[in-house]
Amino acid sequence: MGRGYVPAALLLIIPTAVLLAVPLYNRLNPQLFGLPFFWWFQGLWLIIAAVMYIGAALILEHGDTDRGEA
Amino acid sequence: MALVTVIVFMALFAVFTFLGFGAAYWRKGDLSDLGQWALAGRKLGPYLAWFLVGGDLYTAYTFIAVPSAAFGKGSIYAFATPYVMVTFAVAMVTMVTLWKMSREKNYITGVDFVKDRFKSRTLAIAIALTGIVAELPYIALQIVGMRAVLIVMLSPYFPNSIAGTSEIALIISFIVLAVFTFVSGLRGAALTAVMKDLIILITVLVVVIYIPYTYGGFAHAFQLAHTAKSTVNYATLSPKLANAYISLFILSALTLYFYPHAINGVLSSKSSRTVRLSTALLPLYGMGLFLLTLFGVLVFAVPKALAIVAPAGGTANGTLVVPALISTTMPDWFTGVAFLGIFIGGLVPAAVMAISQANLLTRNVIKEFVPNLRPKTETTIVKWSSVFFKFLALAFVFVVSQTYAIELQLLGGVFIAQTLPAMMLGLYDKKFLNRWALFAGWLVGMSSGIWFTLVANNFKTLSTSLMKTPFGLLYIAATSLVINLVVAYAGSAIARIAMPRSAAVPSD
Repeated sequence: MGRGYVPAALLLIIPTAVLLAVPLYNRLNPQLFGLPFFWWFQGLWLIIAAVMYIGAALILEHGDTDRGEA
Repeated sequence: MALVTVIVFMALFAVFTFLGFGAAYWRKGDLSDLGQWALAGRKLGPYLAWFLVGGDLYTAYTFIAVPSAAFGKGSIYAFATPYVMVTFAVAMVTMVTLWKMSREKNYITGVDFVKDRFKSRTLAIAIALTGIVAELPYIALQIVGMRAVLIVMLSPYFPNSIAGTSEIALIISFIVLAVFTFVSGLRGAALTAVMKDLIILITVLVVVIYIPYTYGGFAHAFQLAHTAKSTVNYATLSPKLANAYISLFILSALTLYFYPHAINGVLSSKSSRTVRLSTALLPLYGMGLFLLTLFGVLVFAVPKALAIVAPAGGTANGTLVVPALISTTMPDWFTGVAFLGIFIGGLVPAAVMAISQANLLTRNVIKEFVPNLRPKTETTIVKWSSVFFKFLALAFVFVVSQTYAIELQLLGGVFIAQTLPAMMLGLYDKKFLNRWALFAGWLVGMSSGIWFTLVANNFKTLSTSLMKTPFGLLYIAATSLVINLVVAYAGSAIARIAMPRSAAVPSD
């Protein structure tokens, strides 16, 4: 296992873990732009996930380059 | 429907056709060679790969099936959003592994990997046939989507015969698809995918901002939806559906990249870096899907569009949600652009899927029996079988009521899920899994999946992919996969005890 493997795994797993906790976000309020919490919370996580995944991709890419298999 | 819409649609379709056929001459290669026809010579750089894989996200599933399901059954179909999010985490890990192995050992399909890893012809053929079958309902869904656009566009010209219009629309969609695939192969799909994605991205951006803005935002729409259909939950999820929701998004996410066409797209990429970085960015593509899901609710706030989707005294057809919202809200010329986007948004992915099916059939099934196929014969078989499969796919159009077209994709997921023990776990498991145990697991998984689906739908038209379990309703792909895994692991354990050496070093 290369360097940075654990942080990369966390970055990939956290968004899924959050959305598995359905009761956490299955609620009406607070609303945003007229959207129930249930909807906008999940939409918001798409953006957060993209940022976290790019972090993970960069870490893993770095690991590959160090091992010389770019 | 204004004539302007039809003219814009036709003009853009002419451009599209020109690109599709012109593709035969782009980065010229011998089109009678299979690698050229089916993998575009493995020359796709990061941008084209991103377009091709990302573009696969925007299919009739996104524009037609998901909004339709949200309209019909409410918040449970919000699962499409976490589904997309989870998918790319899974893909970033598994697809990079698969890509590296494929490059090293020259695999062209996922089944090549299964065959090499487990040294079992039987298992490989079973997995190949599963992939082929699973694509059929998914292609059917694309045809349903193309038809929805044509229905909305053509119905003003045939005011007295809705059923007739629908049939004409279906026939046109089917012929266009068959001819397009046959002539251009994956190059055609790749090149036109760029045009498709540009038009679609413009459509998504304009539509998801403009329409809610025009009709007083979402709060109003949620209220009207609740008033119109008080038995359906739109704003939040019924707590007893939490497990159903989780099983839908997790299993859909696990399966998406293991469809043959998705693997095909990944393997056409130039480098593992391409695979990883393009995957990381893809959740952003999901924002469009998220907003389009909401259109199933938004349609309640637009009376003119609602009248097309659910005509007074007629049966509602949820697949018309997005086309109806666009045609009643946007300028005519823009409607033409958007309709073309949605139409080819079904056409291009359907072509890619059919190509990957034909590829699997020739390479991983027929060649197992006739190993010395001449390359020319091989390509001929691939092209004609892709036509044959499209006829089979057409049959699936009739087993589902249009509003629940999403069930077609979910049915495909039930099948693909049964290939995961060999395809996904096989990437990481080096010794334990036994090929015969995997085959037994696959057999039990497939049969239980089909049986559960039939029972859940009372042996009638497909309208649900959820089954009753002690844990509440669950997606059938999940229950069958669990059964599959139990058999695969128990069987492998037994095989290890019974024949500790031969299990680890298999040979046919």
